[in-house]
Amino acid sequence: MKKDSLMYTVIFSFTITFIFVFILAVAHNKTTERVKKYQKISEAKAYLSASGIKLSPDESPQMKFSEIFGSDSIDKEVLTATIGNENIFVSRLSGKGLWGTIYGVMATNKDIDKIIGIEITSHSETPGLGGRIEEAWFLNQFKGEKVPDKIKIVMGVGRGDPISDNSLVDGITGATRTSESVESIINKKLMELRELKGRGEI
Amino acid sequence: MNTAKDLAKENLWSNNPVFVQILGICSTLAVTNNLTNTFIMTISVTFVTAFSNLSISILKNYIPRKVRMIVQTLIIAFFVIIVDIMLRAYLPSISKSLGPYIGLIITNCIIMGRAEAFAQSNPPIISFWDGITSGLGYMWVLMAIAFFREILGFGTLFGIKILSSSFTPWTIMVMAPSAFFILGILIWIVKTNMMRQDEKKQAPIKKTN
Repeated sequence: MKKDSLMYTVIFSFTITFIFVFILAVAHNKTTERVKKYQKISEAKAYLSASGIKLSPDESPQMKFSEIFGSDSIDKEVLTATIGNENIFVSRLSGKGLWGTIYGVMATNKDIDKIIGIEITSHSETPGLGGRIEEAWFLNQFKGEKVPDKIKIVMGVGRGDPISDNSLVDGITGATRTSESVESIINKKLMELRELKGRGEI
Repeated sequence: MNTAKDLAKENLWSNNPVFVQILGICSTLAVTNNLTNTFIMTISVTFVTAFSNLSISILKNYIPRKVRMIVQTLIIAFFVIIVDIMLRAYLPSISKSLGPYIGLIITNCIIMGRAEAFAQSNPPIISFWDGITSGLGYMWVLMAIAFFREILGFGTLFGIKILSSSFTPWTIMVMAPSAFFILGILIWIVKTNMMRQDEKKQAPIKKTN
């Protein structure tokens, strides 16, 4: 069969595509379990971190998660727990960022007027700019932040607002839109939680 | 026919993919604000270029003319997806921090460029070597740019704080335009150097006139 004939071209293209895609499918299959396992661990870590719980190096995130939240997986929209002598609500955050959806976790006290902490679990923001929402200095601002009404992101020095009483946090220099997205995602969730509480559902 | 050593010298310096062939610029601007990301990115590109060159060189006599480029794209995409799957499974935090840039390696002109310019007309082993050295040529340039961008933009190197807190970071270094400036300056320095070397080589010939 001549190399440039139609028949050869079709058979060759089909065969080569089949072989390469088959190898990819096998590779994907063999690693699916690992990826899922990592995702579960990373989610458990996010919930614990948002709730302000520090893990010691030999503690497994999933075991600690079961211990604190009383179940192995995230089976309700709002999880409750008692840490120290404070009752808290922990729920997922999600909303539109600049380039894609931003996902995270937020823990609040049961009166929903104080944020215990937040974690960002995934986003598609610009690395080095919007992507900095996952950095410690940004997230730490939300720890223990009083929010009688809404949180507001302002232009600060860019190193983080350490005052917990003012409902203000510093945004990220050069990442205004991403910072605004995070602000509206948090405020929306606060509103939702208050509504659920008002209806007696949590 | 190039020897392996000549090929290495060319791909690393005199015919460097980034500052001589001016290829792979998009990724140069995007990932170089951070040395760790740059390192993983350039290792991945080296891997993909080497193995796709090897595969294309092995298959070159069987690929019909009409589907040449698309089969090359298929092979390049295959290796990039393998890299993506491996990173997701074994280095998940790095996969997260590089995000979409791994998938974008498929569009890197250097890989297709070497496939067309070298792998299509050379034997497999030397094509593999060409892929490795092109990747390394790309790597050292990007690491050099990332060095300046990370230290001036964040005050860190590989995430480790080097400069004291009194240093005000140059936020422009975190943004893409700074990579344009640094790359431009680098090309200027390197080209001036190359031109001077060429002049020196020609000078003895002139004197014997």
